[in-house]
Amino acid sequence: MLSRYKPLLSHTFRQWPRLLVILVFTAISAASSALQPWPLKLLVDHALGNESVPEFLREAMDLISVGITPIVLIVVAACASLGLFVFHSAMDVILSFTWTSAGQRMVFDLACEVFHRLQRFSFAYHARRGIGDSLSRLTGDTYCLYGLAHGLLVGPAHQILTILSMGVVAWRLDPGLTTITLIAIPALAASAMFFGERLQRTTAVTREAEGRLLTFVHQTLTAIPLVQAFGTRMLNRKAFHRLAQDATLATQKGSLFSNVYGMVNGLALTMGSALVLFFGGKRVLADTMSVGDLIVFLSYLRSWHDATQELLRTYGNLRSVKASVERVMEVLGAPEEVKEIPGAKPLPPAKSPNGRVVRLEGVTFGYEEGRPVLQDIWLEARPGEMVAIVGPSGAGKSTMVSLIPRFFDPWEGKVTMDGHDVRYHSLSSVRAQVALVMQDPFLMPVSIAENIAYGKPNATQREIEEAARLAFAHDFIVRLPRGYDTVLGEKGATLSGGERKRIAIARAILKDAPILILDEPTSEVDAKTEAEIMKAVEALVHGRTTIIIAHRFSTARKASKIVVVEGGRIVEWGTHEELLRAQGTYARLHLHQFRLLSKEGAA
Amino acid sequence: MRGWWIKLLKYALPYWRTLALVGALMLCSVGLEALGPWPVKILVDYVFSEEPLPDGLRWIKVLPGAQGTIGLVGWLAGATVLIYLANQAAQTVKTYLETGVGTRMAMDLGGDLFDRLQRLSLRFHGRQMTGDLLRRVTHDTGCVKQLVIDVAIPSIQAICTLLALFTVMWNMDRSLSILAMMVAPPLGLLIKVFARPMAERTYEQQNMEGQMMAMAERTLTALPVVQAFGGEMRELSKFRLMSMKTLEAYLRAVASQLEFKVAVGGVIAVGTALIMGIGGIHAIKETLTVGGLLVFLTYLASLYGPMTTLAYLASGLASAKGGARRVLEVMAENEEIREMPGASPMPASSPKGREVKFENVTVGYEPHRPVLKEISFAVMPGETIAIVGPTGSGKSTLVSLIPRLLDPWEGKVLIDGKDVREISLESLRSQVAIVLQDPFLLPLTIAENISYGRPGANLSEIMEAAKKAGAHEFIQRLPKGYDTVLGERGANLSGGERQRLAIARALLKDAPILILDEPTSSLDSVAEKNLLEALERLMEGRTTFIIAHRLSTVGKADRILVLSEGRIVEMGTHQELLGMGGSYAKLYEIQMGAIKKVESVLCESLL
Repeated sequence: MLSRYKPLLSHTFRQWPRLLVILVFTAISAASSALQPWPLKLLVDHALGNESVPEFLREAMDLISVGITPIVLIVVAACASLGLFVFHSAMDVILSFTWTSAGQRMVFDLACEVFHRLQRFSFAYHARRGIGDSLSRLTGDTYCLYGLAHGLLVGPAHQILTILSMGVVAWRLDPGLTTITLIAIPALAASAMFFGERLQRTTAVTREAEGRLLTFVHQTLTAIPLVQAFGTRMLNRKAFHRLAQDATLATQKGSLFSNVYGMVNGLALTMGSALVLFFGGKRVLADTMSVGDLIVFLSYLRSWHDATQELLRTYGNLRSVKASVERVMEVLGAPEEVKEIPGAKPLPPAKSPNGRVVRLEGVTFGYEEGRPVLQDIWLEARPGEMVAIVGPSGAGKSTMVSLIPRFFDPWEGKVTMDGHDVRYHSLSSVRAQVALVMQDPFLMPVSIAENIAYGKPNATQREIEEAARLAFAHDFIVRLPRGYDTVLGEKGATLSGGERKRIAIARAILKDAPILILDEPTSEVDAKTEAEIMKAVEALVHGRTTIIIAHRFSTARKASKIVVVEGGRIVEWGTHEELLRAQGTYARLHLHQFRLLSKEGAA
Repeated sequence: MRGWWIKLLKYALPYWRTLALVGALMLCSVGLEALGPWPVKILVDYVFSEEPLPDGLRWIKVLPGAQGTIGLVGWLAGATVLIYLANQAAQTVKTYLETGVGTRMAMDLGGDLFDRLQRLSLRFHGRQMTGDLLRRVTHDTGCVKQLVIDVAIPSIQAICTLLALFTVMWNMDRSLSILAMMVAPPLGLLIKVFARPMAERTYEQQNMEGQMMAMAERTLTALPVVQAFGGEMRELSKFRLMSMKTLEAYLRAVASQLEFKVAVGGVIAVGTALIMGIGGIHAIKETLTVGGLLVFLTYLASLYGPMTTLAYLASGLASAKGGARRVLEVMAENEEIREMPGASPMPASSPKGREVKFENVTVGYEPHRPVLKEISFAVMPGETIAIVGPTGSGKSTLVSLIPRLLDPWEGKVLIDGKDVREISLESLRSQVAIVLQDPFLLPLTIAENISYGRPGANLSEIMEAAKKAGAHEFIQRLPKGYDTVLGERGANLSGGERQRLAIARALLKDAPILILDEPTSSLDSVAEKNLLEALERLMEGRTTFIIAHRLSTVGKADRILVLSEGRIVEMGTHQELLGMGGSYAKLYEIQMGAIKKVESVLCESLL
């Protein structure tokens, strides 16, 4: 059973040196807590009472040639209590600090693993789940390791040691009374089982509710322009309130169980304690036990109680934490949609200096089962060629090109580069072959230079500027106050749509990959910039395989081959002239555009 | 950060009744704590030493079975159970109530912070990291719970306990009591010295955690780029590095807290040792009974318990302060588009639509970098204005001034002669329907997305709007149709489909002013043609602004406004501008050049 949690616990065990320190010091601390009540006994029985001093103390006093008067004993008691404090303090500090250090490291190690895992899922996965939920697991549920490590190792170690040491000492002092205290145990076991189950369930519900709240807040924060333009502020406020209510109620329920659990345990233990007081009191009256001894016993009993309560509480916490553990395991255990086969080798080098042959062979694919977006697609792009993909929106064009860098694997058929199936080679080498410009530029909040160099981190400033020039971005960049060092706001918020597009194009240019894919590169720019960009693209076509998705026929016209996609299938292909002559879909779409434009000409 | 705790305490006010109950329970608990050691004292002083009970306690003998010694012992034993149980019960109920109130307060604060964020301007949001804001709303708002439940209430409890116990101890032995209180001044000094470093380090630690979340959020949001450009390992190293830095901040914070706690413990320990010593001497001199000394020592432990707690609370306070700072910082942000006092709703518009005027508007996103400069123009009711110009010339900025997504630095924007700042925000925004470049679709159903601005709309109205936007067809083809839930940011639709949904959403809102920012950029020519025809019908009786690059779209406009580098360079009808031979004419030529080529090929193919 524990092997299931191995990926999680491996982070815990990596901290074993610190955990060892914790265990050792915990043991020492527990053992020494047995010494806790002794200064008091010394004071009551020996200094104030008339009992004679134990041997070792007499010898110790002789050594330092101090007489054993009550005053001396009092001083000794006082010093002993101070000494014990210092010792415990030191233990506490070491334990606290080591525990925090070990605990946080474990959590952060796990968080790094979860983060890496999350990066490897497709963006379809994240779209389905919501980034907020994943963040909740990354920064919240990972803290379960703290609870796990404490509950499995540190906590019980301390508590069990205390329970045992107290138990042994108490037994030595008075077996009869000790037996009485053990009456509580069956009741405690039953309580632990009953409440443990419920604690786990309520925690799971609470975490889910909190995850939903986080997701909602995240999605609102990323759509602020929408919220303001459409005036949905109050609606969102109410939605927040509803989700918060859910989380609050779940938390309260958990708290109820937790507190009642503690109380039930306390009740059982106290009954035992009262019985001890009763029988112990009888013994004192019968002079078979000294008052001091009874007081000491009661003190031990107290420690035993507290440790047992703690142990039970630890068990309860473990059950609660299990809910978070499951949430983390869900992420770690989720199947990766695109898996690299073990031992995958990089793609062999390109055969031609002008790029690679890219083929989609009989590809069928969709995002949801039973709903294919692409059906039986056969497509080829050769080195030095520019292939344009056109078609009505929603036909599957973007989906088609996202298969090339292996964002997804097709249901049927295969994607090959120079004849090599991309599934049999290392993912990083496959993706290194493709420079992609997507419809949404996805710029990062780092400097413009860093954005452009994202695909080639070692690029020199000159290379960056060259790429920017080719993308017709250089001019507007240098006009910014900090030029290439300008840090973009989140999502490149301070640039216009066309400017962001051009930075994305520069980024793809700089990567200098044998396959260049452009998804509507000129959709948001004016005619002049469009012409410039197309000039840049044309210049790039040499020495590369280029695939371009376009709506505008001015773009498509330059391609050596045009592929027309409709309803997830390829319906026509050929050169621009051939397709016009064929009078099919392409010609029809083209005519529309022509009519639209020519209306302007006639006006 | 003055008075930060006062601001937070306001959130406790709605729950005063529950908190009062908590207070009452706490007092019970204090009383019961004080009562705790008495059964033992009675046992030791009277029962075991076979002394008769003093007058005040004689009533115990009246209890059934208490006449005999054994029975007395039994009763006293039972008393310990009862006292303990009562205390436990009180504390259990108290903790349960506290958790409820604590969570609710944190959620209330979270809701307020969330609402504030919704109102802050785009300028503010452009500078922020979403992940960091997220953490403030969902995690740092716990500071109010920490303050009230973990610091304030235990403080009150500790002080009450202290006072009660001290009174009892005073009656037992005055000199000892005074000595016991001697620890207070050194403790006070320690708190003063340590408070600030603890608070600052906790704040730093919490900031670092915010940044970790921010980093995770933006990597996951930009995942396609990260994957396409092979950035996963780099991002992982960055994340790892950040977690290391956060760990260091954590340890620094913990270290300062531990130093403080040790110092406090030390002062208390010295005090205890002294009392033990002096108390022992008093007992020998018989100014104090052994039982009395025991009780005194027990009380001392009880006294120093709350004292230590009070001191430790200083570190809890520091923690709460860190979170509070992160929350209140944002609450104090002043950049929101504020409704002016005396702002009133718009009166109903004429059937022709509304007039929109810009008077000498200058505005930008960063200081000293205006994006628009001295813009002045007027649009008649029902007119359609196309805005063209090179990218970055300020077109999107111009239209976002109309619904006050942004306020101008200079100049003003007027609707039907009224400055938009004088119109109540709700009314203003209901006048404007906007389709932005980024459609911002939400992970709700298609129907909910379309009716986002008008939640009361029924399905036929939604379908009507979808038809006009040319979206109805593809929606019908989906297995769940209008009930299809979209992925984040509308991920399971193509770019063009998303755009049409955004257009449907704007159309359903049915506002007198319509703003379209590149409505056809993602559409193929057939969809574009259909949409433009639909828009033509809709533009009647509405004042419309279209930002466009394609002249096919621009052609529908009554007038065209040409922007360049933040200024209006030309304005007029299509014919007028062609005649001027300026920027517009040039743009037109480029596109016409494209047409001519098409023309020639078409002619060829027809031959």
